[in-house]
Amino acid sequence: MKKLLALLLALTMVFALAACGGGNAPAATQAPAAEVPAEAPAEEPAAGPVTINFWSMWNDGEPQATVIAEAAEAYEAATGNTVNIEWKGRDINTLLSSSLEAGEAIDIFEDDFNRIGQVYAPYTYDLTDMAAAAGYKGYDCFNNQAIAWAGYLNSITEQPQVGGVFYNKDCFAAAGIEAEPTTWAEFLDVCAKLKDAGIAPLAQDGAYTNFTFYYHLVRYLGEDGIAELRDNGGWAANEKAVQAAQDIIDLRNAGYLADGAPDEYPSSQNKLGTGEAAMVVCANYVTAEVNAAMGEVNWGLFNYPAVDGGAEPTAAYAGANSLAISSYSEHPQEAFDFIMFLVTGEYDQKMADTAAQIPADPSNTAPAALTGTVETLLSADKPMTWCGSLNTHAAWGDMKTLFTELFEGKYATGADFCAAMDALY
Amino acid sequence: MRKNRTLIFFFMAPTVLCLLLMYVYPVCRTVLMSFFRVESLTASTDTWTFNGVDNYIKIFHNASFKTSMSNMMLIWLVGGVITLSISMLMAVILTSGIRGKKFFRAAIYLPNIISAVALATMWVQYIFNYDYGLLNQLVTLLGFDKIRWLGTDGKLWAMLAAFTFGSVGYYMLIYISGIEGIPRDMYEAATLDGASKPAQFFQITLPLLKGIIKTSITFWSINAATFFLWSKMFSPVQTEGSTVVPVIYLYDTVFGGKGVIERDAGAGAAVGVVLAVIIVAVYFVMNRLLKEEDLEY
Repeated sequence: MKKLLALLLALTMVFALAACGGGNAPAATQAPAAEVPAEAPAEEPAAGPVTINFWSMWNDGEPQATVIAEAAEAYEAATGNTVNIEWKGRDINTLLSSSLEAGEAIDIFEDDFNRIGQVYAPYTYDLTDMAAAAGYKGYDCFNNQAIAWAGYLNSITEQPQVGGVFYNKDCFAAAGIEAEPTTWAEFLDVCAKLKDAGIAPLAQDGAYTNFTFYYHLVRYLGEDGIAELRDNGGWAANEKAVQAAQDIIDLRNAGYLADGAPDEYPSSQNKLGTGEAAMVVCANYVTAEVNAAMGEVNWGLFNYPAVDGGAEPTAAYAGANSLAISSYSEHPQEAFDFIMFLVTGEYDQKMADTAAQIPADPSNTAPAALTGTVETLLSADKPMTWCGSLNTHAAWGDMKTLFTELFEGKYATGADFCAAMDALY
Repeated sequence: MRKNRTLIFFFMAPTVLCLLLMYVYPVCRTVLMSFFRVESLTASTDTWTFNGVDNYIKIFHNASFKTSMSNMMLIWLVGGVITLSISMLMAVILTSGIRGKKFFRAAIYLPNIISAVALATMWVQYIFNYDYGLLNQLVTLLGFDKIRWLGTDGKLWAMLAAFTFGSVGYYMLIYISGIEGIPRDMYEAATLDGASKPAQFFQITLPLLKGIIKTSITFWSINAATFFLWSKMFSPVQTEGSTVVPVIYLYDTVFGGKGVIERDAGAGAAVGVVLAVIIVAVYFVMNRLLKEEDLEY
């Protein structure tokens, strides 16, 4: 009797364990996702209501999540389909590759358009035909880039971002500044006026020193020129690189950085909220972050100023969180319809207003703080990357430290800084 | 009692199976993966390309990995000496019969029951804050200029100070349990023989705590090798050279970082193997250095 009981107990445990691990079994039986052609023909319209599984990069309760949930409810009411949203948070990139490889039940997923275009591309659906049928336009800079990476339109822009110099208009007014600077010389004049008015010209958090300096390098060298330095070194021998570093040293020595800068994120950028500092170089989400932390700021934006003899006077950083459909989705058309529901019209406008973002639909209106961003994106052919010409270097981590040290005033001259960069090779 | 092998087998099977599936298999796969070129962590093995020891060569030639190892060694050595010394001191004081022992024990242990995320945020955003932080308020009160505690030079040490603050209570409890296991009559006899308190500490407490010290050094080594959360909290937007540690490097290598889409799960696996080897090495060195004597008391 004891033996029988023991056997039963053991078997129960084994089956319980097997049952616990059984969740992924159906996925394992599916054909490998990579083998599913991305150009799979559109599915026949489903006979009845379907369930769309949506993995979001937001957390429940965040403004973006709130709008997505509202859109899903409205979509469900309009179509009878169900949108099953899983809030995966910012680290969704640590889950997506494995999940897509395993054929997890995901119809729509949301992430940085860089990763969708390059990392997840084998698992993304070709949206070209559906986008054409729906009359989708979006922003060429993102669509073209997605097509260049994946070979087809594999993502739909949801939350576009644009970089530049964001400033507090009230500070500019207090300093008597009427025109936004377009050149480095004009920028320095603006800094001088702000300083005279008792306002720190530029806020700078340590987390973004690499972005600011990269922007400055792009103005002198262009991203291709930076890539050459990345591959071959020779920073100290490059006059433009030396001058770029010298400009930052001069900026600091002139006292144009906010007190304590480079500070710990988000301490320095928050000074725009108190009016202690006037400008910050960042992407547009800085406006939402500062507004949330410090209250509404009267925001303005201008493109990073051009430098004399620079190779790239106008490029602006542009990035996006985008939506994609898995290549093995059983309901691609329904998923696409929901994406359109989210990135155009009413809910896109709501997303822009609620989360203080640039609208994904260029025909919608950007919040006042982001006036001009839609036009900037529409006129951009190829977006400037987030340090893309340097961040693949093996010593990128140490380079970032040097960039922060540059703003900290550790280098007497641009040549010293560039020599330190060369020492990393 | 007659052993029933079948019964033993059936009772052990689920546990053994779990161990094999959830521990041995990932370990074997990681070691194997470290010798292959693998982009994605879960890529099918037929997409792996044999890479020999190139992944190891790659990481040991990588400046960021070297920085991360250097940071880890500083955390292990400096942090270890400070944390374990303070913990030992606190444990000795609290077991010496002082008043309010329970209160102090609870107070010192308190940081361990607070979420590390909340604790780190408090340190970063309040204590080390440049404009209104606690430390700079003290500094200005004393008439000095404000200090950038979280600058590139000081960030690792600031992080280590915060981490040490949170860790002391944990190791203190371990030492207290060890010290309380030592019979009091040994101390009484030593006192009668005229031994001073320091002499009692060095001649009785320390020798009898060898096993505990060895355990705490092993725990600390594991903590240092798997250091992750505090580094993330002190570099919230993207990895910074001043706080990067091997696990952060591993994470970025396997999953990519801000604006970085390149991934290399094979190199990440190599980092994991190197860390495991370091922990095992520390364990064996500790075993050699701190040999436990079979003492009965």
